[in-house]
Amino acid sequence: MSCPQTEPNVVKEEVMATGKWVKLERTTYVDPAGKTRMWETAKRTTRPTNTDADGVGIIAILKRTLHKDCVVMVKQFRPPMGCYTLEFPAGLIDDDESAATAALRELKEETGYKGEVVGVTPVTCLDPGLSNCTTQIVMVNINGDDVENLNPAQQLGMAEFVEVILLPLDEFQKKIDEVVQKGNIVVDSKVYIYAMGMSQAFFKPNELPVLKQ
Amino acid sequence: MEFEESGIGEECGVFGCVAAGEWPTQLDVAQVLTLGLVALQHRGQESAGIVTCNGDCPPIYNSLKGMGLVSAAFKPEDLLKHRYANLGIGHTRYSTTGISELQNCQPFVVDTLHGKIAVAHNGELVNAVALRKKVMRHGVGLSTSSDSELITQLLALTPPMEELDVPDWVARIKNLMSETPTSYSLLVMHKDVIYAVRDPYGNRPLSLGRLVPVSKLHTSGGGACDTEGWVVSSESCSFQSIGAKYYREVQPGEIVQITRQGVKTLSVVPRPRGDPPAFCIFEYVYFARADSIFEGQMVYTVRQRCGRQLAIEAPTDCDVVSTVPESATPAALGYAQQAGLPYVEVLCKNRYVGRTFIQPNTRLRQLGVAKKFGVLSDNFAGKRVVLIDDSIVRGNTISPIIKLLKEAGATEVHIRVASPPIRFPCYMGINIPTKEELIANRPEFEDIAGHIGATSVRYLSVEGLVSAVQAGILSQQDKDDRITDANTNSRRVGHCIACLTGKYPVELEW
Repeated sequence: MSCPQTEPNVVKEEVMATGKWVKLERTTYVDPAGKTRMWETAKRTTRPTNTDADGVGIIAILKRTLHKDCVVMVKQFRPPMGCYTLEFPAGLIDDDESAATAALRELKEETGYKGEVVGVTPVTCLDPGLSNCTTQIVMVNINGDDVENLNPAQQLGMAEFVEVILLPLDEFQKKIDEVVQKGNIVVDSKVYIYAMGMSQAFFKPNELPVLKQ
Repeated sequence: MEFEESGIGEECGVFGCVAAGEWPTQLDVAQVLTLGLVALQHRGQESAGIVTCNGDCPPIYNSLKGMGLVSAAFKPEDLLKHRYANLGIGHTRYSTTGISELQNCQPFVVDTLHGKIAVAHNGELVNAVALRKKVMRHGVGLSTSSDSELITQLLALTPPMEELDVPDWVARIKNLMSETPTSYSLLVMHKDVIYAVRDPYGNRPLSLGRLVPVSKLHTSGGGACDTEGWVVSSESCSFQSIGAKYYREVQPGEIVQITRQGVKTLSVVPRPRGDPPAFCIFEYVYFARADSIFEGQMVYTVRQRCGRQLAIEAPTDCDVVSTVPESATPAALGYAQQAGLPYVEVLCKNRYVGRTFIQPNTRLRQLGVAKKFGVLSDNFAGKRVVLIDDSIVRGNTISPIIKLLKEAGATEVHIRVASPPIRFPCYMGINIPTKEELIANRPEFEDIAGHIGATSVRYLSVEGLVSAVQAGILSQQDKDDRITDANTNSRRVGHCIACLTGKYPVELEW
């Protein structure tokens, strides 16, 4: 583009509607060409002031001696989608909680497993065309040999109905495809991307390159 | 020690695993098999192989074979295609006669009327020569010289009463067992089952184990619902290594069916004529790992008892008791305890020096032995030493050691052998040298002490060995109150001592 470039920025935010958990705002901003425009933005009303992200997503690997490593997944009915979804365990960060603490707490509540944090991603956006919701993905290892993790007991709230599903990591994408084929379930994009990455990492390096004619 | 030096070996180890519960399993069956074989590495270092199956309909079999130790034979990338395994069997092979070729490596996979089977075998068929002719007369072609292939082909023969599309594996296995009396511990894998078979004389060992979660391994808890898988192995020492609880031995003549539901006895084939069982006594003396359990007793304890018995039969007026590292250590400790003498170490072993039997001539061989050991002269200079060994077969390996000890200051070196002299060949799987090479059959045996340079040499008696071995079994069976099975009128305790007495457990067919 030959016209002068501006640094895009938000000028004004007006609340149009507020619910208990979510609010709708009209965002006035200046685009890279210097023109003022509007955007409809959804935001959570629950974001704590002293944390970086709204919530955490948890990639928890259940590790047991002589067993394949398994990813801990959750299946639940999601009203906005109108159907069941397959996701990583997740939850909002409470006031005065770190992402790591929130992750271990949510994992214990939703799945019953007690884990150890091995990594935290930077703050990442979830659906930036729609909302300002952010998340930090927390990598967790679960010691499956520990007595506490042999028969995990969920601690769900009144309105929570969560089914725990374990899928082996080395066939992750294949197993997800099988679940989807059974019908009536949508897979979260973070999950599917991770599965594709795992397939690449496990198998592609070992595949012989095929010369295309 | 001489067994180790001369390369006299047990002909192999077998291992199998079936994942319990839901399939596809999250148990890493290929890894369980690999670790199980590593624990049986002492039974064979020449090559290793595994065959896994996904147990589906139709089943997919995958094979992995390699030369050398398990760690060298199986690369991580090779194990990738075994990740769908729900069950599998494995085998480690010992170097015997003939060329070591990959095609001779087990387990063998062969197509039968009812689909593929995989077979892993430990032992040697006593009537292999006659049986080969018989099988080939039936029109079956054999591609190797191993009798494990013979077994696989015999299992592929259709038994007379079998229905068209329903395999009767008990009938097929019983057919095999009627064609050959001993010796074989066998694992046969077909679709989603592993059959574990032990020949009616129980010549080679075979035990069952139950995989439980790591946290339940050492507690008394761990009920049936905790079972993660079933394993079967030549020796129970492999169970601890993989987090399995020892379950029981496969009985002589027993055909055991192992599935994801559990372990079931399908049949027990009796011995003809009420013959006693013939468990190879050298498993106790030398071949098995000291922590394995046979007939309800730990091998280490039996070796220690042999040492005690040896001290009773052949006491020595001496200052210190010692041994050649490491196989005879339990016997030496037993001897020392019984004799009330101190046990000291006199030799330092270089474990990186290989077997000496590959050296071309006797002199070099003796030098080779000298390089393998160094003397700990501080412990015995100026003293009279009694050296316990588990075997003297040719006598080549012990004489340089005696020389070493004397040159380092031992005033007397007495040899006490914790087993009787071997005089006869073994046809059940131990590659003992020919009758003429065995020192017990040579004229030098009259003055063996002079021949090897020792002050005196004494062996454990046959009765002494048998009583030391059977003491642990009989004391348990006191509770059972009988050692004769009333149903079959056959003794339930018996060991093969053919290499010591020349009395073979079965007629040998040529």
